[in-house]
Amino acid sequence: MRRAPAVVVASAAGFAGIVGMHAVGSAPTTLGIASSGPVQPTPTTTVPPSTSSQSATTSPPKSQSSSSGGTGTAVGNSEQYGYGVLSVKVTEQAGRIVDVSVASLQTAEQYSQNLAQQVIPMLKNEVLSAQSARISAISGATYTSEAYAYSVQSALDRLKAK
Amino acid sequence: MRRLDPSFPRRSEMGRPCQVFTRFWVRLGMELRKFNPVMASLTFDPTHVPQRGKARRGATSKPGPVPRPKVAEAATILAGLGLGVCVGLAVTAESWSQLSATGGLAMFLGNLTGLAGSYLALIMVLLISRVPMVERVLGQDKLLALHRRLAPWPISLIIAHALLLTVAYAEVARSGFLHQIRTFLSSYPDMVTATIALVVLVAIAITSIYSVRRRIRRERWWAMHLLMYLALALAFAHEIALGPSFVGHPLTRLVWSLVWAGTAGVVLVYRFALPIYRSLRHRLEVVEVHEEGPDTVSVICRGRHLESLAVSGGQFFEWRFLTRGMWWQAHPFSLSARPRPPFLRLTVKGIGDYSSAVARLQPGTRVMIEGPYGAFTTHARRRPKVVLIAGGVGVTAIRSLLEDLPRDCDPVVIVRASNAEDVILSSEVAELVRHRKGRVHELVGSRSEVRMDRLSELVPDLRHRDVYVAGPEGFVNRVVATVSRLGVPKDSVHFEVYSL
Repeated sequence: MRRAPAVVVASAAGFAGIVGMHAVGSAPTTLGIASSGPVQPTPTTTVPPSTSSQSATTSPPKSQSSSSGGTGTAVGNSEQYGYGVLSVKVTEQAGRIVDVSVASLQTAEQYSQNLAQQVIPMLKNEVLSAQSARISAISGATYTSEAYAYSVQSALDRLKAK
Repeated sequence: MRRLDPSFPRRSEMGRPCQVFTRFWVRLGMELRKFNPVMASLTFDPTHVPQRGKARRGATSKPGPVPRPKVAEAATILAGLGLGVCVGLAVTAESWSQLSATGGLAMFLGNLTGLAGSYLALIMVLLISRVPMVERVLGQDKLLALHRRLAPWPISLIIAHALLLTVAYAEVARSGFLHQIRTFLSSYPDMVTATIALVVLVAIAITSIYSVRRRIRRERWWAMHLLMYLALALAFAHEIALGPSFVGHPLTRLVWSLVWAGTAGVVLVYRFALPIYRSLRHRLEVVEVHEEGPDTVSVICRGRHLESLAVSGGQFFEWRFLTRGMWWQAHPFSLSARPRPPFLRLTVKGIGDYSSAVARLQPGTRVMIEGPYGAFTTHARRRPKVVLIAGGVGVTAIRSLLEDLPRDCDPVVIVRASNAEDVILSSEVAELVRHRKGRVHELVGSRSEVRMDRLSELVPDLRHRDVYVAGPEGFVNRVVATVSRLGVPKDSVHFEVYSL
């Protein structure tokens, strides 16, 4: 095919264009930029606010430690998954996870919102019984489960670091 | 009694009794012709060469628009750009953390194959949508060949997409493969329609494998193949509802929807609406079926407003004769002369049921056309001098191409046939060539008697001429190989294959 080189160049250009646009306009949780540990700024442009009232205002991840014996809370990273952004707050007491609550949740559309509401209580139970972030995902909510687990893990890392 | 002549009175001018009378006369002529097959046509005067400036009835119709190769190149580049964009979309929807999670790699590959596969499916549809600006440059036959060559890619990508995502989700949820399929169908939006679309795609793919296609009747295979439009329409919803690149990204969603809507629009307009409009506007009907050789007939059709049908010599139409047994099929036949408003002529060789049925067409049969299609025209010329090589029925396209060549351009025409009676339209070709100060060589005989290597003797300056070849597939392949070997550059060889 005579025009093959031009087509290949055009494909490469299209690819580069999209990656460039994405890197410029969005959060660092994208491919190519390492994300583990350091504080993540809240993603701004890619996810519109959800329609339901469940979403709290997103707060930058922070660690708080209470001075009373053994209790600590930490907020995990805001994990962007395909359908929304989720971060959790983990409360530890005397070395055991006692509570996991949602710090912020923004979903892209109603379906994901409903799904998250159904699934998050189940995920909380899983974390409490496993006492770690190594939980199995809920079938039908793969991305949500993964984001939850990652956020819990980063919160636990913060607690350990304190 | 009205005398029949090429400037045939319009239907509206003739009263009903006159129409009946004329039809009787034409039928009588056709019966008489059985005794003397070489009688000229009663309605169509094919060697009438119009003088300049004559724009009234009897002159030929508008010349076809000039093709612009840059349009086709721009379209190809745009297609490549789109593919890069799709891959970019898939890549930018991922993150390292997602990739390293359970099932993460399968999920990423599933999304990538889905995006690329459905984009290529759109390209497939656009390839056969007969957009005039592209079709004029590349030709329907080359576009069909591209469509067939590209086909395995979207099909395998989409099947891989379905398998990979099922595996990925099953891994994450730690459920079995089949259980995951059930989950998809029950709890995800638009997955039922997407699965139906996948089944239709696989069925069409299987029927298109050569060994299977051979055993299915052409019409049934064609009807099945058209279901692909339905499959694509069914699959669209799940892409928008579930694709990670689209959910929560309204701009991407908008662009994707526009691309789909645009493709649908192009197909609706150029593949369906425009041919229907042309058929209704020109209202063609058969007026005469006229024998040219032992199993070759010319069909002459009359229509309205044929002066505005812009055709280039060498182009073809898809013909649909609205009579029992033929109305559901459209077959491609070249015009064997430029239109002489209000008449058109096509010449058909009677191989197979359909072509034999054409010989039995009755005057008054309505005709629907799709076209004109084809890049086998004088616009494709790179050099002023040409050689036209016709094999058997290929002389029809060559004959109408000749009319488009300017005066005194010295064409060399080579007509190849197995028997003397298979040489059709020879008097017309001779007249047209004489008018252009060229020469005709008729090579009659079996393949062992006539060798096409003689071409360089017959045409000493072959290397400096553009070569046009038309005929059956084997003939065209052999001649193209021969002229390439004799030093004609690839860009100067143009061919039209007549498949049976």
